[in-house]
Amino acid sequence: MAPLLAIENLSIAYMLGDGRSAEAISDFSLRLERGRIAGIVGQSGAGKSTIGKAILGLLGENARITSGTITLDGTVITRFSEGEFAAIRGKRIGYIYQNPMTALNPVLSIGEQMIEAIEANTARRGEAARTYALELLKSAEVSHAEERLSKYPHQLSGGLCQRIVFAIAIAAQPDLIIADEPTTALDVTVQKAVLATLKRLACEQQIAIVLITHDMGVVFQMCDEVSVLCRGRLVEHGSTAQVIGAPRERYTKDLMAAIPSVDLKRDRFDVLDSFANTPGRRRGIAFLKSGIAAARGGEALLTVNGLSKTFDTRGRRAASGGFRALDDVGFEVFAGETLGIVGESGSGKSTIGRAILGLIEPDAGAGIAFQGRPIADMRSRRDRIALSRSLQCIFQDPYSSLNPRMSAGTNITYGIVAQGLISRAHAKVLAEDLLEVVGLPRQAAGRMPHAFSGGERQRIGIARALAFRPELIFCDEPTSALDVTVQAEILNLMKELQETLGLTLVFVSHDLAVVRQMCDRVIVMRAGRLVEEGRADQVLTYPRETYTRELLAAMPRIALEGAR
Amino acid sequence: MSEMISEPPIGRLEGFRAVFGGYPAAIAGLFGIVFFSLIALLAPVLAPQNPFDQSRLDIMDGLLPPVSTLMDGTISVLGTDAVGRDILSAVMYGMRTSLFVALVAVSAGVAVGVVLGLVAVMRGGWIDAVIMRAVDLTLSFPGVLLALLLLVVFGSGADKVILALAIGIWAQNARLVRAVGLSEMKKDYIAAARLAGIGQLRIMFHFLLPNAISPVLVITPMAISGAIVAEATLSFLGVGVPITEPSLGLLIANGNDYLLSGRWWISVAPGLVLVMMVLSINVVADRLRDHANPYLQVKA
Repeated sequence: MAPLLAIENLSIAYMLGDGRSAEAISDFSLRLERGRIAGIVGQSGAGKSTIGKAILGLLGENARITSGTITLDGTVITRFSEGEFAAIRGKRIGYIYQNPMTALNPVLSIGEQMIEAIEANTARRGEAARTYALELLKSAEVSHAEERLSKYPHQLSGGLCQRIVFAIAIAAQPDLIIADEPTTALDVTVQKAVLATLKRLACEQQIAIVLITHDMGVVFQMCDEVSVLCRGRLVEHGSTAQVIGAPRERYTKDLMAAIPSVDLKRDRFDVLDSFANTPGRRRGIAFLKSGIAAARGGEALLTVNGLSKTFDTRGRRAASGGFRALDDVGFEVFAGETLGIVGESGSGKSTIGRAILGLIEPDAGAGIAFQGRPIADMRSRRDRIALSRSLQCIFQDPYSSLNPRMSAGTNITYGIVAQGLISRAHAKVLAEDLLEVVGLPRQAAGRMPHAFSGGERQRIGIARALAFRPELIFCDEPTSALDVTVQAEILNLMKELQETLGLTLVFVSHDLAVVRQMCDRVIVMRAGRLVEEGRADQVLTYPRETYTRELLAAMPRIALEGAR
Repeated sequence: MSEMISEPPIGRLEGFRAVFGGYPAAIAGLFGIVFFSLIALLAPVLAPQNPFDQSRLDIMDGLLPPVSTLMDGTISVLGTDAVGRDILSAVMYGMRTSLFVALVAVSAGVAVGVVLGLVAVMRGGWIDAVIMRAVDLTLSFPGVLLALLLLVVFGSGADKVILALAIGIWAQNARLVRAVGLSEMKKDYIAAARLAGIGQLRIMFHFLLPNAISPVLVITPMAISGAIVAEATLSFLGVGVPITEPSLGLLIANGNDYLLSGRWWISVAPGLVLVMMVLSINVVADRLRDHANPYLQVKA
C-alpha cells in the first residue's frame, strides 16, 4: 500500500532579487504512513519549515520547487494550483503554528473562530458546529470548554491557545498535520502536557504528523522516526531510537553532543572550538586579569534582601496594588561562583536582574548591597561609574543587544571610552584583542552587527561585558535565542572565561539542563517568589519542593541506554 | 565619532543601484532634481537678465510673447511680463527663492522635531505629555490656515514664511521620531548603554538618534516638495515673500490677471516649472519610501 505522504527527491530554490537562486532544500525524501509521527530536526536555517510549507502549498512567491514530487494519498500535489491547495488545506492537511498567540485571531472569540473553521471545512452548520466545537475542545483536553468558547485568545494562556489550535486542526479529521515547532513558545511544564495531547490525538484518529522542531527532547518524546536536516540536505533518517541512540553520521553525533543534560554535569561540551593562542588573545586576557579582582572564596559579593517589585497596571496606582512581579526575594551571590536562577516565564527571573543592575527601581524596602554597600546609596557620579564597572550584563536577544549603527569594535569599547577608563587609541587594539578572547577574528572589529550571526553577536555581547572587567556578570538567558550547537560553544566559552578570570556569574535560564551545566548553586523562582535554594546538583537531583520536582519531571529527556 | 553613523560596507554605486535600478521614473526625477537645483544655484550666472534690477527693465518690453526680441536686442525665450521682465530669468530666480525657503524651513522643522521627539522619548512623563500635546495642537490646525494666521500677525517676508512652514513640519517629525524612538528604547542595546553609565545626552544622540532617524529621512523629501507648494500657495495669496524677491508662487500670481486676456505665458512658465520640480522630488521620494518599506521589497 502506498504511504499517506511521500516526498520524493524534493528540491526547492529561492529566487534572489538579482536573478540568482539559492537552493534551500536539496533532494529530500520522506515517506509517512497513517498514524505515525515523523520528526524533522535541524538548526535554524536548515530548511525545516520550507518543507512544511511546501506540503501545504504555502511557499512564498519567490520559492520554486525545482525537482521532485510530493504525493498525498496517491495524488501528486506538487503542481497544485492555489485553488486546489485551498481545497485540501484544513480538510486533509491541518497546520499547527509555532506561536499559538499569533495563530489565533485576536478580535474573534474562540467560539467564533472555531465555528468558522468547522463550517469552512465540514458539513456542520450553526448549532451542530457549536456542539462539535465543544466536542473538539474536550478531546484536546481543554477544561471548562463551554466557558472558553466566549473567551478571546489574550484571555487564555499559551498552552490553552495551542490546545485550541489543535482542536481547530483536527476539526475536519485530516489525514496529516504539519506541526511547526508547536511548543517552542511554551514553558516546559506546559509543553509536556500539550505534546502528550497531540500524540494521543494522532494515535486515536490515525492522523500522521510531520513534527518540525529543533529540540531533540521533543523528538524523543513524540516521534516514531526522524529526519536530520543540515543546510537543506537530509543527513540521516531512521527510527528515533536509532538516530538518537546510535547516530551514524558525524553531524548527528555533534548535534547530540551539544545537547545539555539535566541529569549529568559535564565539564565541557564536546564541540569544536579552538582558540588560537595568539599574542592578541594573551594580551586581552592579561588586560582582563589585571582588572578583575581574584575571587575570594566564601565572601558574599552581592546580597539581596526583601526585594519586591510591583508594576502599576494600567498606569494608575490602583488601591489593589497592580502586578507583583517580585515578592520579598532574598539571596546572596558569593565571589567566584555561578548562581543559577530558574523558573518559568513570568516568574520574575529577569526582573531580579534588572533590579540588581539598576535598570528598574525596586519597591521601597528592598536591600541590594554590592560588596557590602547598599546600591541605593551609590548615587554620586563616581559611585555610579564604579558600579557600572563592577556589574555588567549579557543579554538574552543578541539581535537587539548591539547598537546596529556602531561597528562591533565600537560596540565593545564605547562604554569604557565614554567613562574615561581607557584612551581612544588603546580602545581600538583592546576591542580587537577582546574579539580574539571570545573566539572571533580581529578583523571583525570593523564590521557592523548585521554582518554577524546570532552566536557571533552573543560573543560580541560577552566581549562588551568583559571590557569593563566587572566583578559580577548577570547573564539573562544568554543562549535561549541560539541553536543548540551554538549554545554549546557559548557555554564552553563562558566556562573557559570563568575559569581563567575567576568571574562571578548570575545565570538566568528557563532551561534546567543549561543551568545544571553552568551553575554551582541554584534558586528556583515561581510567580515572583523564591521557592527553593541550594547546591545545583542537590536541587536538580533531589529537589525538596513539589514545584521543582514538577519542573524537573517536565524537562524533555533523552534517556536511552548507551546514548551517553 | 565618524564611524558611528557609517553605512554598512557596500559601495555607494551598489547602494544607488539597489535603490534606483529598474525605476526609470525615479532616475528621471533624480535628474530633474539635479537640473533644477543647478539652475537655482547658478541663476545669477545663467539668467539672461537680472529681473529684479529695476534699472535694467524697459517698460517698452512689456507683455511680449515668447521668442520676442527685446529693446536691447536680446531674445526673450519665454516672453516678458507687464513691466518688461524676462520670464525665463524671473523663473530662474524664482526657483532660487522657492527652493531656499523650502529647504531652510524643512531643515529647521526636522531639526526641532527630531530633537523634541528624542527628548520626549528620553524624559517621558510630563515633558513627553507637554511636547506631544503641542504636536497635537499644531497638527489640528490646517497647515495653510496656521501659516496665514502667523503671516497676518507677524507680517510677510521670507523669514516669516520659513517660520510658518517649519511649524507645520516639526510636529510630524516629533511624532514620528517619538514612535520609532519608543520602540528602540525597549531594546537591550539601550539597556547596555545605560548599564555602561553612559549619560542621557550621549544615549540620545549616539544611540537613539542614528537608529530612529531613518523614517525621518524617508519623509523629508516629501516634506520639501510639500513646503515648496505651501510657499507657492502663500505667495500666490499675497502673504508670502515680498515682491522684490518673488518666488514661483508670486510669479504665477503676477500673471494671473493676464491669463484671460490671452497672455498665458506669464503664469504658465513658472507654473510648469513648479509642477516639474515638485513631481521630480515626489517620484524620488516615493522610490525612497518604497525602498525603505520591507513589505514592498522583493524578498531576497
